[in-house]
Amino acid sequence: MSSTAAVGAIDHHHDPTTSTGIPNKKLVMWAFLASDCMFFGCLISTHLIYRLHPPASAPQARQVFSIELTSFSTFILLMSSLMMALAVNAIQKGNLKSLRASLLTTIFFGCIFLGCQVYEFNNFVFEHHMTITNSILGTTFFTLTGTHGTHVAIGVFWLLLMYVRSFQPKDPETRPAWFLGNVAHIAVFIGAILLSGYVLIELAWAMQAGGASPGTLLTFAKAQALAIVGAVACLAGLVRLAKTRGPYDFGEANAIDVEMMGLYWHFVDIVWIVIFTAVYLLEYL
Amino acid sequence: MSAPAAPATTGQPHSLEESKFQIYVQIAMLLAVITGIEIVTVYLPFARWLLVTVLVVFSAVKFLFVIFFFMHLRWDKPFCTVLFFIGLILGGGTMFALLTLFGMKESVPLP
Repeated sequence: MSSTAAVGAIDHHHDPTTSTGIPNKKLVMWAFLASDCMFFGCLISTHLIYRLHPPASAPQARQVFSIELTSFSTFILLMSSLMMALAVNAIQKGNLKSLRASLLTTIFFGCIFLGCQVYEFNNFVFEHHMTITNSILGTTFFTLTGTHGTHVAIGVFWLLLMYVRSFQPKDPETRPAWFLGNVAHIAVFIGAILLSGYVLIELAWAMQAGGASPGTLLTFAKAQALAIVGAVACLAGLVRLAKTRGPYDFGEANAIDVEMMGLYWHFVDIVWIVIFTAVYLLEYL
Repeated sequence: MSAPAAPATTGQPHSLEESKFQIYVQIAMLLAVITGIEIVTVYLPFARWLLVTVLVVFSAVKFLFVIFFFMHLRWDKPFCTVLFFIGLILGGGTMFALLTLFGMKESVPLP
């Protein structure tokens, strides 16, 4: 059956095989997200209670936070939510190409968010000397935002797995090494994310220290040559592995899997909406 | 059991899917604009209680837009909404209780 013929054949909001009419996977995910609400509720309220008592020698939260960086990462996370919604919309129409493009963009935005968080944490620890152990503000702040960051990292990994899953061939006998190929795909993808992230963060530090002059960039390129070459090789490998060799065993019937992952990703976004106001904006009043 | 399947999307599935794309993009733009207004709001010279109220309302609006549109609660069975709001109310209630019980004086770290 072609994907075009299948469009509209599956009701994505009702499953007649379950007693509730809701797909079981979706029900489990909503139950999990409901429990996660309580988890983050406790972490946020703990931070709100203890943020009022920074040690005498420690800087105030307002002096430590960077509203520009946090606003940028908030915007990026909102846009990643849009791309995730479009990914679900695409697979519900059986549009595999659009799904992959949307997933890749969501992964990209998720990685930018994580990169901003790594940069922010570095800045807090090494520039402002606020660590997880030297003040109660640091303890509650790093625990809360670190837990959220871990959720984002898990989400990015899940997105990555779903992206690679979309390359599973319809007839595995025609491509016997497909499983090893997909494992290699995952390895290359992780390599590309880690190496690119490392290079970009190091570049940001180098430019902050020495400005954006050609001399600084040349020194940086020499010092990080191996990481740059590795990142470029992994990105080239990703492009190579993304070449279409269909048909694939991934279509409208898998929309529930993508939707479930989307629910998790949007939840991470709504938690950040609350954290942005309760942890960051509140300090500026 | 299969009888209730009809009302969900049958009849106009294609137009619904088409309009969803527009809805998602419009909501994302709206969320970005609200975030921008939030950032400007903290620098306005108004009473603190008023600014906090405005920020909480903005956050709630963003939160509701994401769960009802991006997370499809608007189109899904009401039971999903009920299930999620059970957790949300318990979480919100826990926050309210903690913030009420442990005020500034009670949370002073031990010497």
